[in-house]
Amino acid sequence: MITRIARKEFSDLLRDGRFRIGAVVVGLLLFVSLGAGWVHVRDARAQLEAAQATARDHWDSQGEKNPHSAAHYGIYAFKPRLALSFVDQGVDPWTGTSVWLEAHRQNDFLMRPAQDATTAQRFGTLTAAGVLQHLVPLMIILLAFGALASEREQGTLRQLLATGVSRRELTAGKALGIAAALGLLVVPAAVLGSAALVLGSNAAGSFLARGVVLAIVYIAYFGAFVGLSLAVSARAPSARTALVALLGIWVLNGLVAPRIAVDLSARLHPAPTAFEFARTIEEEMATGVDGIEPPDREAITNALLEEHGVDRVEDLPVNLSGITLQASEVFGDKIYDRNYGALWDTFERQSRVHETLALAAPLLAVRALSMGLAGTDVEQHRHFASAAETYRRDLVRSMNEDLAQNSRTGETYFADEELWESVPPLEYEAPSLAWILGNRTLSLIVLGLWAVGAAIAAVRGARRTEVAG
Amino acid sequence: MTQAVAEAVPAASGLAKQPVLEARSLSKRYGDQEALSELELRVHPGEIYCLLGPNGAGKTTTINLFLGFIEPTSGTALVAGLDVTTHGIETKTHLAYIPEQVMLYRNLTGLENLEYFTALAGKRLGSDELRSILGQAGLQADAADRRVSGYSKGMRQKVGIAIAIAKEAGALLLDEPTSGLDPKASNEFSTLLDGLRDRGVAVLMATHDLFRAKETGTRVGIMRQGRLSTEMSTAEIGHADLERIYLEHMHDA
Repeated sequence: MITRIARKEFSDLLRDGRFRIGAVVVGLLLFVSLGAGWVHVRDARAQLEAAQATARDHWDSQGEKNPHSAAHYGIYAFKPRLALSFVDQGVDPWTGTSVWLEAHRQNDFLMRPAQDATTAQRFGTLTAAGVLQHLVPLMIILLAFGALASEREQGTLRQLLATGVSRRELTAGKALGIAAALGLLVVPAAVLGSAALVLGSNAAGSFLARGVVLAIVYIAYFGAFVGLSLAVSARAPSARTALVALLGIWVLNGLVAPRIAVDLSARLHPAPTAFEFARTIEEEMATGVDGIEPPDREAITNALLEEHGVDRVEDLPVNLSGITLQASEVFGDKIYDRNYGALWDTFERQSRVHETLALAAPLLAVRALSMGLAGTDVEQHRHFASAAETYRRDLVRSMNEDLAQNSRTGETYFADEELWESVPPLEYEAPSLAWILGNRTLSLIVLGLWAVGAAIAAVRGARRTEVAG
Repeated sequence: MTQAVAEAVPAASGLAKQPVLEARSLSKRYGDQEALSELELRVHPGEIYCLLGPNGAGKTTTINLFLGFIEPTSGTALVAGLDVTTHGIETKTHLAYIPEQVMLYRNLTGLENLEYFTALAGKRLGSDELRSILGQAGLQADAADRRVSGYSKGMRQKVGIAIAIAKEAGALLLDEPTSGLDPKASNEFSTLLDGLRDRGVAVLMATHDLFRAKETGTRVGIMRQGRLSTEMSTAEIGHADLERIYLEHMHDA
């Protein structure tokens, strides 16, 4: 029975000119955005590989110099583009994807397209995630607003219910029919996306699981919209009212809630401006803070002299500069850990506010999950940033240690490519699916609540829809 | 009075069977307004019962109560002996319903509409059977495969009849089915109703058409302000009598 209703809804929709136009527009945008995303990620990857090779080449061929100077010379690290990032760019345009690793300093990420963009462009970027999160729900609303309201208005609902079909079956059939029509548009895109995923990456296998979860997330989101639309359609006094109410919900979900989430999270968990942040670090570097003291050069020197039983630094078997440089490096690291740790924690608390507000707007849950699965959320940016920072510290330490161990204080010492080449490349392993989902449990729960709640609302709405009038 | 009628009718029509449609002190209130009060009504197989009365007399309310689209404030509506309130879905298997305007899905053909409504009623009929039913209902063969957006009202009513025939329901509820039909279409409609009556279907029809009620109906009931004020067998009266009685009931009380 349900499939019979679904089949009729489906063929009815397909014969509807409005659906055909809408489907063509949304389908086209979806394909174009997926294609553009894929090309963008492919190009970005090629650039990244080239840039990485160049950066490494510069490092290896920097010539003979003092190892500490080499640490100052530094190297660039690039955040790898994960296979699914073509679906959702996430925060990448804002946070950047490359960072310069050098002695003494933890730098900010560079390559932030948002930095060069105008505010208007924020809304202008066509991404698959944007189409899936905003346009597909709009399409669902246009497909479903009349599902029960129009039938009631036109009088077919009375005849339908007089046949003996139950309201629950009717609602389920309608939902299924709308889902099938929607599937015509989304399934080919998903197939194409998976193909792009398999073709576009050598490690696609591990990302297929993510792709599947991503698909489930969007299906749940669309399901919530179908349920919500049917519920409103069942209860609204007319199809027109249903449409207006649903468009209102769409605006609240897609435009108002994200804006509120940004403002509210910034108010609840304010992050320092870039200028304040830099100044705090500068101040703490100069004076130390909360028990983190700048290294005492004299104490280090005396301890070394005593340890080795000599009176003059020139007689030490190690290079004092290497040791004190490393000591100040360790001091700097603590200051950075303290400040960046707090900053990242603030960002994560902000993103938690977004996830909580998803109780009022499912978009926020989907967005968090979508970015998470695409590997472009704040948490995974932090994950890469920490890996890059650990790598920087290892690199600087190995330079300082080479200086300390292989030369004496005051001596002019040069290392060569043998040392540069001994530095391993940055091997970054992206977080596992379990790690991502663990991070996003709240969003998963909230989205699940939306999907189930919307289904219940639809069935309840249909049960109470008025047919006597 | 009602009791006397209830006893007299089965004897008169020779049908001693249980009524298919039955209202027992059926009442519906909307706030202060009494839409239907204490309705006693029995329609047996093979009967066409015509409910007459002005708009707002309670005719459509009665049909809505039998369809379970509204809940009675008190009393019971029974279909094939089952209470509509507690057996909503089950009672509908015994009912077919044709509204004043049969509404169909514009994007589907007449045949597809029939197929859909029949399938929802739980009947699986082949395309040939469905075409033959549309033919019985009087729809031209070439119209069956056209989308109903181009159908006239009469054609839509015929599809409505076809839906009712295909369902093989024991009771038929009609809400002013001939209003707006031209005399010829209205006459065809009556012929179809006669056919259904002869098959033993119990028909309850709300109508304004006194002529049609006298012609087709086996019994008529006149309603006014939510009450059934009188009931009579059409065999016992002439056209002029019916009109006179109707007008009398609109004036007094």
